Amino acid sequence: MKSSSYTLLGMLLLLALACKKDLAPLSGCTDDIATNYNPNAIIDNGSCNYFSPTPFIIQTPTGFPNMNIPSNNPMTVEGVALGERLFKDPILSADNTQACINCHQQVSSFSDPNQFSTGIDNIQGFRNASALINIGWNNSLNWDGSAATLEKQAFEPVVNPIEMHDTWPNVENKLNANAEYIQLFKEAFNIDYIDSTHVVMAIAQFERTLISVNSKFDKYLRGEELLTPSEFSGYAIFNSEKGDCFHCHGTQMFMDNSFHNNGLDIEPFLDLGLGKVTGNASDNGKFKTPTLRNIEFSAPYMHDGRFSSIEEVIEHYNSGGNYSSTVDPLMKKLGIGLQLTNQEKQDLIAFLKTLSDDNFISK
Amino acid sequence: MNKYLSILIITLLFFSCKKEEGCMDPSALNYNSEATINNGSCNYAPITNLYIHFTQTVNASPLILDSMIYTNQANDNYSVQTVRYLISDITLHTDNGTNTLLDEVHFIDISVDSTLTLNIPEIVNENYTSISFTMGLNSSKNVTNLFLNENFFPSFSWPELLGGGYHYMQLEGDFNTVFNGYATHTGGTNGIDFSFNKTFPLEINTTNNIRDIYINMEITNWYHSPEILNFTTDGIMGDLNSQTILQANGIEDVFSVYY
Repeated sequence: MKSSSYTLLGMLLLLALACKKDLAPLSGCTDDIATNYNPNAIIDNGSCNYFSPTPFIIQTPTGFPNMNIPSNNPMTVEGVALGERLFKDPILSADNTQACINCHQQVSSFSDPNQFSTGIDNIQGFRNASALINIGWNNSLNWDGSAATLEKQAFEPVVNPIEMHDTWPNVENKLNANAEYIQLFKEAFNIDYIDSTHVVMAIAQFERTLISVNSKFDKYLRGEELLTPSEFSGYAIFNSEKGDCFHCHGTQMFMDNSFHNNGLDIEPFLDLGLGKVTGNASDNGKFKTPTLRNIEFSAPYMHDGRFSSIEEVIEHYNSGGNYSSTVDPLMKKLGIGLQLTNQEKQDLIAFLKTLSDDNFISK
Repeated sequence: MNKYLSILIITLLFFSCKKEEGCMDPSALNYNSEATINNGSCNYAPITNLYIHFTQTVNASPLILDSMIYTNQANDNYSVQTVRYLISDITLHTDNGTNTLLDEVHFIDISVDSTLTLNIPEIVNENYTSISFTMGLNSSKNVTNLFLNENFFPSFSWPELLGGGYHYMQLEGDFNTVFNGYATHTGGTNGIDFSFNKTFPLEINTTNNIRDIYINMEITNWYHSPEILNFTTDGIMGDLNSQTILQANGIEDVFSVYY
């Protein structure tokens, strides 16, 4: 009798609880595209919040084309900030010791002052880390053009055995265990689970903001500053066919978005460059033209960092370079070169240093 | 009986004599096979999928790249490695004076197949009797930063210090030895317009079904007639004399059109 009255009480309690749920339907946000959608809610109480990140507007600088931003990765303030954080966070490397910025150092115009970068396992690469400056205008990435977009490029170093040597599943686990990252990815992309695709999207957004158009030369073009006679003389050599720098490093981008063999080596090439990517023998020994903006800060030079100073680079062109079957026809006097005087070389270097943007490497 | 017969004959006569007006061209959309008077009402389908092909020859044979097998009239042996040029204001004309602009600027790079053919999906039906185009860019178009988002930017830019704007052509290779490069680069120089216009007869209409037009560049002819031009390892971009010769040689016989 006693036990049956307890049973009855228990049943009544259960009924009351069940009835409470039925009698007072949960109110909340019932719109399934809202960020706070509550699938249990039956009555919409007007509380829905929608994903609306703040657009990050990139002003196209004078003399530049529109930046090619993938339509599925629009620039947002939240995405850029997240990308910067990821770029600087060693969490992307297997032993949590190395971030992107370790080999793309800001003081070196986001390149590596060492000829070759050293990965987490103390293994060196075989090319110089590219400077990341106005990189959003590049039609392809890497010295050999092997990555078509910044997003695709960012997939590589994380898992490269001689770089960060991590795995994407491992990186995803580490990020998803971090409440702060979960929140930041939610704000930037409205996702609940962090995946590699959104990691590289954020990094690419940040890289597109690495824009430099405030060098002394830019100020000269805007009429705000004058060039010295030596700088102007260098500017004229640069843009004459005597110096012939402009065919590859022309326009205010100071690069041509193309690949050339500038006569560094004779055949057989140790590094096939573009040819390795395309499989065309006619592309062997060709490498991507880098911008000359901030060239003062991004030593060493060439795809393999073989030249440690601008002087050595000029000397290469001044002595004409080596013949190979794919050498660019614009290396017009192989073995003879530009024949610049010492003064002309100094002037050229003075001009190249007007392309330096101190804010870009310090702010 | 006779009465009926005459009515029938008169009726038949009446119908056979009725002159029907309409479009009498069998190729028209509204061809009227009964029409005996052409009233100018013919409607034609638009001309679709016209292809302009840009071809290059040396001594009338298709260009062979990267091989020093050619000789110019200055007796220089030479190879051709790079051929890139701009053809602008490609326009079809009719005898009654209407002009149809096919493309404002077209960039040809022989290493990029897609640039060698210009497809015009649709133009109105007309009796086109000539085609004209400009080699390079005339001074109204040859302006720095005007074509920032075109496929010939930035590689075709012409430095501000040499007058600005764009190259018209980059024709490059080696001459005599593989150590000597030449760069026949043409363009508006120091503010002088060296572009030129060419017009060629053709027949494109709704009935003849000619849909492929070939604009050929005979590369050798840049270097002679009326004047011989020698190759040089020095640039010619600031050289008004070379630019003037190239313009004159270009006008003479570099281009031809066949279809």
